Amino acid sequence: MAELKLPELAEGVNEAVVSFWHFKEGDTVKEGDEVVEMATDKAAFNVPSKTAGTLKKIAANEGDTVKVGSVLAVIE
Amino acid sequence: MKPLSRFPSWLRRSVRFNKEIIETKTLLFEKNINTVCQSARCPNIHDCFSRKKCTFLILGNYCTRSCRFCAIETEKKLSPPDTKELFDIRDAVRDLGVRSVVITSVTRDDLEDGGAGHFADCIKILREAEILQPGVYPERSRRGLQDDQMGETTESSQSGHLNIEVLVPDFLGRKSSIERVVFARPDVFAHNIETVPRLYKEVRPQADYKRSLDVIRHAKGFSAEIVTKSGLMAGLGEDVDEVYGVMRDLKRAGCDIITIGQYLKPDTGCLDVKEFLHPSKFEQFSEWAKEIGFKKYNCSPFTRSSYLE
Repeated sequence: MAELKLPELAEGVNEAVVSFWHFKEGDTVKEGDEVVEMATDKAAFNVPSKTAGTLKKIAANEGDTVKVGSVLAVIE
Repeated sequence: MKPLSRFPSWLRRSVRFNKEIIETKTLLFEKNINTVCQSARCPNIHDCFSRKKCTFLILGNYCTRSCRFCAIETEKKLSPPDTKELFDIRDAVRDLGVRSVVITSVTRDDLEDGGAGHFADCIKILREAEILQPGVYPERSRRGLQDDQMGETTESSQSGHLNIEVLVPDFLGRKSSIERVVFARPDVFAHNIETVPRLYKEVRPQADYKRSLDVIRHAKGFSAEIVTKSGLMAGLGEDVDEVYGVMRDLKRAGCDIITIGQYLKPDTGCLDVKEFLHPSKFEQFSEWAKEIGFKKYNCSPFTRSSYLE
């Protein structure tokens, strides 16, 4: 099981908003697939999966503000 | 229905997870080196740090000016230039193993020479490292390294020469400061015009359009061989004809290379983006740059002075 956590998107930016998920729960993702788009005040960033597996759980909804280091999804 | 992102589809960056990013960040952190990549919260950082590329910020991390597009904090009383900063950068350049380096700074209106001497020292220290320790900057043939800096010539990247580009402030227009930097022989001398003249008051209240043009003009006049470069941001409320006017002015001032990118708001206190220009408008800028006769040009949403797409 791997948790996909929100990485630091730009220096000193400690939170970001979930724009949208490119996958839904139950979908199969490959390593490197861009799973979710996050937006900071400055730009939008696609966050890739570090592992291959099934997207078991989406832990942040579209529109939610998420802190850096928080779990976005669980992939196993 | 898919909810809308607050950014148009062409303004997406990809996050990367790799050891190079961690190595780059760790090295900068350990040496306490400032980069504009970090200070400006640049969205290209994942790409650049993955390739161990960064733009060094000298003369501290506070600025005497308060340009409204920039996230760097303003302070009136600042520390004097610190030579240690330059030796740390030299060591970082060696450790990163890069073949080209971009040095920029905050604006230091508090210093008599505006920090020009510190720029000159920086170039000298990097050049000395190159001469005294020929193995310090080994040959590299990593993909992308030779083309991603426009001032870099093919010969220089093949000969083991370290390509040094400086991106300087306007030094309040002091000719002696401009000359001091040019005399130190950087490969590229850059000064960004940033925006169109009509928006200077709002965007760069302590700067002056003509003075900035004259920085380029004087550098070129002082040394015809120096490669000059300037950049501007689009999306601050200018219209395209005004951009064309700036391009013409830069060319007349002796500017060789031009970059145009999308302005993105780095911090809550900064100016809002007035327009996200469609990539086709940047293609138009490239066409104009070619027509006007710039030697090199790069215009795209994520183009930055030291980031070319």
